[in-house]
Amino acid sequence: MSDAAAHALDHHEPVTSTGIPNKKVLMWAFLGSDCMFFGTLISTHLIYRKISATVGGNFLDIRDVFDIELTSFSTFILLASSLFMALAVSAIHKGNLNSTRWMLFGTIIFGAIFLACQVYEFTHFVYAPGNELTLSSYRGEPHVFGSTFYVLTGTHGTHVAIGVFWLIGWLVYSFTGKMSTADAMDVECCGLYWHFVDIVWIIIFPVVYLMEYAF
Amino acid sequence: MAIESLKYASPDTETKIEAKVFPRPSQYTTGLVDWLTTIDHKKIGLMYGMAALFFLLVGGIEALLIRSQLWSHNMEVLTNREYNQMFTMHGTTMVFLVIMPLSAAFFNYLMPLQIGARDVAFPRMNALSLWCFVSGGIILNLSWFFTGGSPAIGWFGYAPLTDTRFAEVLGDMGPDFWIFSLQMLGLASLLASFNFITTIINMRAPGMTMMRMPVFTWMTLIVSFLIILAFPAITIALVELMFDRTYGTNFYDFLEGGKPHLWQHLFWIFGHPEVYILILPAMGIVSEVIPVFSRKPLFGYGLVIFSGAIIGFMGFAVWSHHMFTTGMGVVATSAFSILTMLIAIPTGVKIFNWIGTMWGGRIRFDTPMLFALGFITMFMIGGFTGIMHSSVPIDAQHQDSYFVVAHFHYVLIGGALFGLFCGFYFWLPKMTGRMLNEKLGKFVFTLMFIGFNLTFFPMHYLGMIGQPRRTHSYNEGHGFETWNQIATIGSFILGIGIAIGVYQFVSAFFNKRLKPAGKNPWDARTLEWTLSSPVKEYNFARNPIIKARDQAWENNYGPKENHSQKEPLDDHGVHMPDRSWYPLLTAVGLFVMVIGMLFHASIDASGELVRNYTVAVAGGVVSTIGIIMWSLEGPAGYHLFPKEKEE
Amino acid sequence: MTKHMNLSKFPHRIVSLITGLLLSFLGSCSRIDHKQSALDPKGLVSQNQYDVFMLSVWITIFLFCAVGGCLLFVLWRYRAKSKEEAMEVPEQMHGNSKIETTLILASAIILVILAVPTLQGVVLMNRVPDPNDQATLDKLELDKSQIEDAITVNVTGKRFFWVFEYPQYGIVTANELVFPASKAVRVNLRTEDVIHSFWLPKLAGKMDLMPGQENFMWFIANEEKIRTGIDKDGNPYEVDTQTAMPSVFDGKMRQAIFAKQAFTDEFEAVGGLFYGQCAEYCGNSHAYMSFRALAQTDEDFDEWVLKFRNAQNPNLQPIPYSPENNYEIDDVITFSDEKLGEGISRDFRAVQAVTKGQSPETKPDAWEKVHSDDFVKGKALFSSLQCVQCHAINRTGLGAKGPNLTLFGLRTSLAAGWMRNDEASLDKWLRNSNDVKFGNLMWNGEGIDDRHPLRQLENDDEKVSQLVSYLLDLK
Repeated sequence: MSDAAAHALDHHEPVTSTGIPNKKVLMWAFLGSDCMFFGTLISTHLIYRKISATVGGNFLDIRDVFDIELTSFSTFILLASSLFMALAVSAIHKGNLNSTRWMLFGTIIFGAIFLACQVYEFTHFVYAPGNELTLSSYRGEPHVFGSTFYVLTGTHGTHVAIGVFWLIGWLVYSFTGKMSTADAMDVECCGLYWHFVDIVWIIIFPVVYLMEYAF
Repeated sequence: MAIESLKYASPDTETKIEAKVFPRPSQYTTGLVDWLTTIDHKKIGLMYGMAALFFLLVGGIEALLIRSQLWSHNMEVLTNREYNQMFTMHGTTMVFLVIMPLSAAFFNYLMPLQIGARDVAFPRMNALSLWCFVSGGIILNLSWFFTGGSPAIGWFGYAPLTDTRFAEVLGDMGPDFWIFSLQMLGLASLLASFNFITTIINMRAPGMTMMRMPVFTWMTLIVSFLIILAFPAITIALVELMFDRTYGTNFYDFLEGGKPHLWQHLFWIFGHPEVYILILPAMGIVSEVIPVFSRKPLFGYGLVIFSGAIIGFMGFAVWSHHMFTTGMGVVATSAFSILTMLIAIPTGVKIFNWIGTMWGGRIRFDTPMLFALGFITMFMIGGFTGIMHSSVPIDAQHQDSYFVVAHFHYVLIGGALFGLFCGFYFWLPKMTGRMLNEKLGKFVFTLMFIGFNLTFFPMHYLGMIGQPRRTHSYNEGHGFETWNQIATIGSFILGIGIAIGVYQFVSAFFNKRLKPAGKNPWDARTLEWTLSSPVKEYNFARNPIIKARDQAWENNYGPKENHSQKEPLDDHGVHMPDRSWYPLLTAVGLFVMVIGMLFHASIDASGELVRNYTVAVAGGVVSTIGIIMWSLEGPAGYHLFPKEKEE
Repeated sequence: MTKHMNLSKFPHRIVSLITGLLLSFLGSCSRIDHKQSALDPKGLVSQNQYDVFMLSVWITIFLFCAVGGCLLFVLWRYRAKSKEEAMEVPEQMHGNSKIETTLILASAIILVILAVPTLQGVVLMNRVPDPNDQATLDKLELDKSQIEDAITVNVTGKRFFWVFEYPQYGIVTANELVFPASKAVRVNLRTEDVIHSFWLPKLAGKMDLMPGQENFMWFIANEEKIRTGIDKDGNPYEVDTQTAMPSVFDGKMRQAIFAKQAFTDEFEAVGGLFYGQCAEYCGNSHAYMSFRALAQTDEDFDEWVLKFRNAQNPNLQPIPYSPENNYEIDDVITFSDEKLGEGISRDFRAVQAVTKGQSPETKPDAWEKVHSDDFVKGKALFSSLQCVQCHAINRTGLGAKGPNLTLFGLRTSLAAGWMRNDEASLDKWLRNSNDVKFGNLMWNGEGIDDRHPLRQLENDDEKVSQLVSYLLDLK
């Protein structure tokens, strides 16, 4: 994880041409690319949203399925986790290991709560009596809403899960006694990723959930 | 995680510095282990290149089988399914396993040398990219051995032909192999591109401003951006397709609410930038070669780069011109038609500038220059037919006919492959330290040029008189025979030419009788030519301080103030990162995971579908362990103390 | 420094090569009117496409000569003539913004020349001209009636054949599109499986058949062009309408095509015969998915429609003989004919007025057999071999799995345009269709395995010949 840092460290040279650490540039490039991933998924969902309203004469009012209170809650939790993440980055920059640990722990917990909500939501939708929404059907009829919905939110959930595991990695590492301000860059990259995943959710939430109540 | 203080031995010796927690091959490793664990961008580039040349031969044999089948009407060299598999595999192989990795090979080998860097920003990630590419190639070709054989869906796998509903062989696994191999290859390209972007933005030598970078490096940067922005579209399209095939979602299933149209849009949003991903590297190479053999700087350097960027940018706005016949309506087709015509302008700019470069020069006709000139002329023809296709009424006749086949082969062989061969003839002396045989090189060029035109020029005519593409057979009486026979003869000439060329490239590494190349055999212009041939593993003994564009040329012919300088010798020498097993381990894990995914479903005795993810999960665990070990081991490394002249 | 110098006469080589290629290309173009050639337009839309194409060809030839000439000049003028010269350092100029701007502007202007007809062409392809817009009609040299009386054809693509439905007339046929040469034809394109593409090069270019979507194209033939052509010696000729467009309904078209030349001759037998092809890869036998379009005069087309309509009209099918009825002369009834086999009935036509109770059995003189014995046996086989499950005969049978075979004996081609529809080909096709068209659904479709009676025909000469005479007598 620390190719560049070490490189810089033992060369004592101006780190990079731009002054931005390599890993940060890498992370930004990755996030740019990731935007396109989610862009594609979100457009797929938007394209199908209306087209698929009535397949097989089975009108889909997704509001019967959605549990907007729960999703609003998990959205709030995920947004709050970003605050913890920002504090964690700030703490490690200052070398405050204890605070870093707590903030990382908070982020992990909130991320996990979000994931738990999503798992609950998915199972709840799939087995909702009378309104079963599965990957391929709605109320037992073939439908495309489930396909776009689960794949889009599932991809986001996978991103969150990867983020949680990454954060757990940091948390564990913080107990080895090797963690120092030298790692701040790496934690910051992790933070960039986490914030990005949050921002994506800020787009998904209105586009996938709220819009169903508006239009 | 960072390496703490490092202890150095005396400056005359090479030293080993890191006490190792994890097993790592030492700096003196040689042989197979060296190649498997290397993180040197040059070795990775060479492996990329060699693997791609191997796949070039594989794809070439597939092409020759296709051409044999089309020798005359109602031929039975291949059955129709075999033929359909051939053109699918030929297309997929040539695009993803040949042209792209060949470009990546040059990017890898040359780009750090051209900007004065010791390696790419993330050497181990670079190795992971290589191994992902190799496993992607293996997965694709494994498909021959399982149910249904290779995919028979065309290289762009139009839905709903890929749907299990329309499989023509029960339980056809071909499309699954195709999906997963493209995902692996996409991962390889993405990893490499993130790396190249970071390297070019961040690791330029002092004084190497963006506008002093060689054009080839610029094209690397543009192509890398195209890759990271275009590949997500196909990755998601393939994920959706995988879900459709494996878990019964309805993304492209029109009987259950999906839209096959969506696949085409997603595919071509990726696919059109992909065209520029294939051609821009070749343009970069040619933009390096023509100035060298004209002994003049590139005419309109800024404009060439700007037009490259514009081509890349506009590449995202013209995808629907592949879909003029799908019924998008008057407005959409007209808009995409006009946008497509506009893209001809920056392309034309490049050609004008290449001619402008030669104007007033002292032109030598060595093999690289011949290939560069072949590139310009052939690419011009491909570009012109491209302009024709941008016009919707013309496209209504050309689409899916042999005219289109002729068009894109003029762009991809006459363009991209000629450009890449040009690059081989130009840079192999740098890579091997030996000059290639000029006579053999010219012979290869002649064979390729003649064979290529014989093969593909008649296809324009064949398309116009009505031969549709992707048909394994044609009826007697359409007047197709004569020209198909000429094309087939031409394809064998082209094939022989390419085979000799590949032989020449590979043997250059082993043939000790070839003349030594020296630092700068062509009197070339860019930074890599200031280094010894072959380049030492540390590239630059001392970091260069760049004073001008075309630094090698300026050092020889420029005014004193333009000569490059060196950073002072550093007391702790050149830090070289250690070799690592983990990129390979991670890629092997991914490979196992893909195999596990491919074979996870089975039908048990009672006819129930059983899903067993054990192998896939095991693969995932292996690659996760690989990544964890990777981050824990750090770059580590050793230090070299090259003498000042040893670079 | 430069050790490798070769001053071969490279430019010469390129010049001679290109000239050679161009010459041979032009030579081959002396015949451009092959069966499926887009270079020989016979309709309004395809003519427009051809015109734009030729414009683009001239533009690009001009550009190629200009840029290529410039390139050759530069290569020749600035070649290094000696080793010493190759070592010289020419003036290191970096660019010239005036020249570059001029060239960019010039290329933009050239593109405008192509863009304008392109946009006009897009509109023409996608929209049938408004019959009330006289100015446009005049420009296109069309009559108002040609547009107003346009016929509509719903094309459905299936793997690997075509269904042509005429909604205005309520008839359905397959693989051969009969249309009036003087009228516009609106084509609605649909598919029931994968993507296909309807390509009719001489009339209208192509349009894809997208699942879950209806696409549209239209074409109108040009009678004058149908009547003219180039003969084998390269001389232009013009023939009368009847020769160029023999009537389909009475089999003259089929005769004319069969009589004039072998199936495999390179050029059309008659001007009114057009070849088409599926142009989007659709599976194993994509190559075999071709079709034909047959141009007719208005009268012949009407006759054909009438005949087809009658054949597919359920009310006009012969009904079983009833002893309670009187019959007029020429009335057709069905009556069992146990000589041919149990439960087989055949058509009888009254040759005189028939009173109650005079069945073909009791009064054979009053009735004549409409069809031969082989026909009747073939018809029975058509049911017993389960052909009827997929093929509709004398009914529209929309949704049937296989091609509609109504009036099959009038068709000129077999197996979606792949073979000539004569006894020999049909015989071959029936014995083993998989040999002819690998992967076709008649051999490989759902529920068909080695025990299926259809697969037992290979060595059964009798049954095959009965089926052949049945099918070819459907006219």
